[in-house]
Amino acid sequence: MAFKSKKAGGDSEDYKPCQHLLDYKAKYGIQAFRVLHKCLKTGPPGRASIRREEKEVPRCAICGKAQGRLYACLVCATIGCWLPPDQLHSRVHAQTNPGHDLAVDVDRAELFCCLCNDQVYDADFDRAVIGAQSLVALSGRVNGKEGPQNGAESTTADVKVGRSSKGGLSLKNSDNKVPSVNGLDGNESDRKDGDDGRDRKRRKGAEFKTWVPTQSDLLTIRQGSTPLVEDANLPSGLRGLNNLGNTCFMNSVLQALLHTPPLRNYFLSDRHNRTICQRRATHLCLGCDMDTIFSAAFSGERTPYSPAQFLYSWWRHAANLAGYEQQDAHEFFISTVDGIHANSGTTSPRARNSQTGRGGDVDCRCIVHRVFSGLLRSDVTCTVCGFTSTTYDPCVDISLDLEPDIRPDSKVFMDSIIGNFDGGRSSRGSTANGITGNSTLLGCLDRFTRPERLGANEKFFCQRCQTRQESIKQMSVRKLPLVLCFHIKRFEHSSTRNTSRKVDRYMQFPFSLDMAPYISSAIVRSRHGNRLLFVETEEMWASQSPSTEFELFAVVTHSGKLDSGHYVSFIRLAGQWYKCDDAWVTRVSEEVVRASQGYMLYYVLKTLSYKSSDFQDSTAGHESEANGNHGYTWSSSGVTNGT
Amino acid sequence: MRASVNRPPTPDADEDKEAEPTLQEIINIKLIESGEKERLKELLRERLIECGWRDELKAQCRAFTRKKGRSKITVDEIVRNITPKGRAMVPDNVKAELLQRIRAFLMSDAL
Repeated sequence: MAFKSKKAGGDSEDYKPCQHLLDYKAKYGIQAFRVLHKCLKTGPPGRASIRREEKEVPRCAICGKAQGRLYACLVCATIGCWLPPDQLHSRVHAQTNPGHDLAVDVDRAELFCCLCNDQVYDADFDRAVIGAQSLVALSGRVNGKEGPQNGAESTTADVKVGRSSKGGLSLKNSDNKVPSVNGLDGNESDRKDGDDGRDRKRRKGAEFKTWVPTQSDLLTIRQGSTPLVEDANLPSGLRGLNNLGNTCFMNSVLQALLHTPPLRNYFLSDRHNRTICQRRATHLCLGCDMDTIFSAAFSGERTPYSPAQFLYSWWRHAANLAGYEQQDAHEFFISTVDGIHANSGTTSPRARNSQTGRGGDVDCRCIVHRVFSGLLRSDVTCTVCGFTSTTYDPCVDISLDLEPDIRPDSKVFMDSIIGNFDGGRSSRGSTANGITGNSTLLGCLDRFTRPERLGANEKFFCQRCQTRQESIKQMSVRKLPLVLCFHIKRFEHSSTRNTSRKVDRYMQFPFSLDMAPYISSAIVRSRHGNRLLFVETEEMWASQSPSTEFELFAVVTHSGKLDSGHYVSFIRLAGQWYKCDDAWVTRVSEEVVRASQGYMLYYVLKTLSYKSSDFQDSTAGHESEANGNHGYTWSSSGVTNGT
Repeated sequence: MRASVNRPPTPDADEDKEAEPTLQEIINIKLIESGEKERLKELLRERLIECGWRDELKAQCRAFTRKKGRSKITVDEIVRNITPKGRAMVPDNVKAELLQRIRAFLMSDAL
């Protein structure tokens, strides 16, 4: 069995290779490792082995058996076994042939020094393996695969979930330790309900404390507010939005934003008060307009509301999109996020410098970026030398390509491939997919994060080789946002006919989603195994949020054609789905949502967590903004949020 | 030297020693040739992760490494010390499932 010496991960800098390895490299140079390319076989991602032929049965050259660990000499390829305590034939080989000290584990493609009795690590060796491996991995991969764990996912909201999304106005911190959604939470998530202590030691978060109002707080609440009309049938915040002339794209996204838990809590807790907002006097402020809509939606009034003021402000913000034409909901979302961000005035200097049109900004303290902003990582690996160049891109949503049609008849072939090449990853989805043949969100995510060969005309300049080389590109999610927005690319451009069309294919999406396989640490780990990594440090793994479970709370769907159609959104409130079709809000069953053709999918993190800085922040914010009173108020039973 | 990696293993000393392979070896070869061994490995890996065996073993390795001092320890030592514990920790039902799979393979495959 493979025991990963901890030398591999963290302290690559203070790791000193043994003298034997240094001697070997001095004698043969790093080119020597390249010959391994031909012998390298890849199993499931990240697991490489050394075989000369596909079905070769390696055996010890001395005893002829295949017991224990087998090592192939790096110099002469002689295989020796290693079966402690007394059967150490690879060591015998090293002792009888001076200079043949180093060997490679045939089952793991890892370096071993037979004289030191220890695994040794070498970045050049690992690069050679990774370079070769990515080539093999590519040729072994097939396009369509993966489905979500349909069966399991249908149980959707577990107890924990219900709580975080439920608390409309009353944000009670209930019996368990899961913090309810409090205004905002930090990025440096960590798990508070840690039933398993494994992630514990790395946590940096702050303890959640329930806000207990003092006497004077209670007095202020009582005096400054009017009781809400409680509606036993409908959860608060449900209010139709009038169509102001082809504005269903706006209404559908606004409904999703209205019920985005962290956003809702931010606005409802008066963190952006339009009556005291400084910007409003001089600039247009989309944040204030959002605040207006939130007030209107949660006022208890149920007659449809016309977000005319917001539309006007948005027109002024995005002048090129102004007018009564139909617009793309995704474009609207991006531009609204951008608008609220630009108007919020909380941009950090650094963020302002690096501001790009549509990307998010992880460091930005503004509300929309704290909620939606994530970080994508893109690795480009040179297939010749294994050098990897990494870039990070902020994003406020993840655009996914639909999987190409999976025909049932290709299933048998796929299964065989999956069985052989892709064990680890596809075992998750292959069963579901085999049955339905449908395209799934997990499948799309797999496509999004799989290694992809860059075409011959987009060869990447490798810094190490100092020339353009064939490369492999792989995406992963470096930092998950609080609210994950997926945009499904439902348009197809045909270059031959120079036309675009909408793809009406159904895509399955899970109600509960675990992003763990797609975050950078998992992707990189599965690609590299325990190779000596070049850039990664212990920090990188540590800063990765342990909480990767998301649940669906809003779906924006589109029906019709590319240039005209209708948007409708589905919103989940208190465990119940509602269809928001402009002015009409109706209760629908889960099946209706499942069967819908999602265009944008909004997922929220199930367990939120806090950084200590958030508490200071929100305290300050609360004090400075606490003076203004809104037109609406807290329901009498609920305890408002706060710090 | 570079080409030599692709050469068949050097018949070092004992070309003549070609002993009769044991039953265990024959089975092993069959498993490898059919690709079943890879599948079994994958299955085992999954099972051991599911039941927490891997985490437990990791913890043990970590503790052992810490005890010995991380600069003084070799992989070989860890393997030697942890292997017996690891073997003992494999749940019986996992062993049973694997045995069942191997048996089924031997029955189905025309040996």
